[in-house]
Amino acid sequence: MAKAPERFETIAEMEAEARPGPEGGPHGDDSLMGRFDRWDLRRFTGWDAVKAVALTTFLLLIFAGGSVRKAADELKPGLGRDIVKAIGGPAGWISDRLPLADTRRDLTSWLSPDQQLSGQSFAAGGTSPGKSASVLPPVATAPQPLHKLLVTGDSLSTPLDIQIARKLADQGAGVQVIRDPHLATGISNTGLVDWSKLSTTQAQDDRPDAAVLFIGANEGYPMPGPSGKPVSCCGPQWEAIFRSRVSQMMFNYLNGGVKRIYWLTVPTQRDPARKPIADAVNRAVRQAAAPLGGRVRVVDLIPTFTPGDTYRDSILIDGKDTIVRVSDGIHLNEAGSSVAADLVLQEIGRDFDY
Amino acid sequence: MLFPTVEFAIFFPIVLALSWALMPRQQIWKPFIVVASYVFYAAADPRFCLLLAAITLVSQLAVVAIHRTDDERLRKWFTAGGVVFDLGILAVFKYYGFFVSDVSDVLNSIGLGMPLPLVTIALPVGVSFFSFQAVTYVVDVKRRQTEPASPLDAAVYLSFFPHLVAGPIVRASEFLPQLKEPRDPDRVAVGAGLTLIALGLIKKVMIADYLAREVVDKVFAVPQAYSAPDAILAAYAYAAQIFCDFSGYTDMAIGLALLMGFVFPQNFNSPYRATGFRDFWRRWHMTLSRFLRDYLYIPLGGNRKGRVRTYINLMLTMTLGGLWHGAAWNFVAWGAFQGTGLSAEHAINGRLGRIFPGWLRWFVTFNLIVFGWILFRSTDLSVFGDYMSALVRSGPATLYSVPVVGAIALVIGLQLLPERPMEGIELRIGRLRPLLLGAALALVVLIVGATVPSQGVPPFIYFRF
Repeated sequence: MAKAPERFETIAEMEAEARPGPEGGPHGDDSLMGRFDRWDLRRFTGWDAVKAVALTTFLLLIFAGGSVRKAADELKPGLGRDIVKAIGGPAGWISDRLPLADTRRDLTSWLSPDQQLSGQSFAAGGTSPGKSASVLPPVATAPQPLHKLLVTGDSLSTPLDIQIARKLADQGAGVQVIRDPHLATGISNTGLVDWSKLSTTQAQDDRPDAAVLFIGANEGYPMPGPSGKPVSCCGPQWEAIFRSRVSQMMFNYLNGGVKRIYWLTVPTQRDPARKPIADAVNRAVRQAAAPLGGRVRVVDLIPTFTPGDTYRDSILIDGKDTIVRVSDGIHLNEAGSSVAADLVLQEIGRDFDY
Repeated sequence: MLFPTVEFAIFFPIVLALSWALMPRQQIWKPFIVVASYVFYAAADPRFCLLLAAITLVSQLAVVAIHRTDDERLRKWFTAGGVVFDLGILAVFKYYGFFVSDVSDVLNSIGLGMPLPLVTIALPVGVSFFSFQAVTYVVDVKRRQTEPASPLDAAVYLSFFPHLVAGPIVRASEFLPQLKEPRDPDRVAVGAGLTLIALGLIKKVMIADYLAREVVDKVFAVPQAYSAPDAILAAYAYAAQIFCDFSGYTDMAIGLALLMGFVFPQNFNSPYRATGFRDFWRRWHMTLSRFLRDYLYIPLGGNRKGRVRTYINLMLTMTLGGLWHGAAWNFVAWGAFQGTGLSAEHAINGRLGRIFPGWLRWFVTFNLIVFGWILFRSTDLSVFGDYMSALVRSGPATLYSVPVVGAIALVIGLQLLPERPMEGIELRIGRLRPLLLGAALALVVLIVGATVPSQGVPPFIYFRF
């Protein structure tokens, strides 16, 4: 390792020395590997480093142990999650019993970029929202003007949101597109965000005329059943709870003033293990939409992207075989999202003038 | 595993403590650090560990073969074999999807249409960095700049977790000598390490992610929806974002390595104070520009074969450097833009300095670099076209706010301040007692953590590369 001579007092001096000589001349050592030796930088022992990091970790656990526990809930199942859970459990327990976490929250909550959500959580145990379509405003028969369009969902909804916004902007439609993807979230997992509350808040705060929903990449989590016990995916009981949650979201949007909802189905995914989840999600969406008439249009992506319910990376677009999925075998890429955006806009064109 | 995550906050203290406990017994420390690094890497996708292992194995076989023979032709062939394997892995995983449809079109147009498999291939995180490091290992041994390491040392070098996924690109000749003896446990730059980690966190989470969320992502997603004032703001915001995102990662990587007793090369040195393209590339992603210079530009002939060849070499080097960032035409165009800037500067060869004052050279350079970032950030050339239209469209400013403008001004302004006082502050912080700094780091993490949205910390921009 090249050590910097002591005469260098600043990086600038060291760097100047490292500059190449005349044309074709050799370059000096410009890695600046010796920069930490300058100015007699104070040195400590390796164990000082360990103690300092241990103190940082200890303070974080007592001030924010609950965050570790929450982080474990949000991780995908596996060894990593088990380890975080094993530490997060006791850390959260200690943190809950000390006033420090509350103090931290009080002092720093103003820094959070998250929206304050209003509305009710998902009804417990998958009970039906207890409403029928008759309580909703009637569906307009003639095309309505479209001023605001909300495009939301989990990671599936982006770059679909961008494609829809670009296509509308290119058409000079003057439609304000509110892009609100919530990555890594799921209807069956309220750990990161409660979609019942979020849908209410989106409808109230943004006042969109229509909403496009594309969600379903992070489903399959156990949900509390009528007895409070968690129900695992993907039997009839899980599907019923999921359907009830989807239905509750649809009512939240429609009651909040959204005139139409365009809900996209989840195209078949590469991993066969995910098929039962996607099937249950898609069935639940169709069943929840059915009683709402034209208020909710289900945009089925399966015939376009995975005809015959068979996964494929590419489809024919304008006669050319084109890759439409990203490498995870779940999401649509830019080209695929563009096709999906065309399908959505075609449906929107039936109901709105823009 | 991302640095600013709960998983890493659990992983690192354990590894750090075990690392210093085992450090005196190198025969145990080395396997331990390789295992820890592979665990770190497996968190992204365990299958990619095989790729890392394959690159390590083949590079090691190549350097041993190179070292064992004095026959220059054989040495050349072994070097070529190692480099082709390392870069071949990169090509398949990173560029297959980019080239396959273009190659298919060309074959179809000349009547040789054959079905090339159109499949999506997952990009292993960090492959661009560790494949380049493997190239430096093979080439440095060929150039007799470094000795072949033991297989275990080679594995430590290529997998060492602080630099594994997003650099800096640490050369074999810079890292392997640090493995010859245990790191000195009494000379650890704890203050500098903790300061860099805190600084990196602030840069990434509080500045880069904030600017992305508030301005950059909105405008670059749909430039058609914005007019000149917002488009201009977003361009400067992206300049600040990409600096804070990438240099923030690098700061953390260098800081973590320092706590473990290792030194990495400098990767950023106030790039936005550059007064020319050459100057910029000596300050921005310095380990990549040194790699491109020493392993591509100079082997191509550098500036030794006349003016025209110099320009061709500069264009080729920077265009390939652009393509290294991603398999997309906008990166190629960005690289070509940088090559053009360097060539133009070379053509006027220092005369600029005599004609124009420093502040004017800085102003022009900075704005050209920002213009280049628009190409870099645009997801494709049509988005770039839309962005250019937005830059000349009149309309209201909708995204300006005091925190946004303040953050941009802070990031750029701090780089323009004289270096000595800035380094003096760094030095003073570095002299504080480690426990005090540990408590300060906890405070920084708590404050930074409060600014993280519920969806978590977005990946670093350079993770994609």
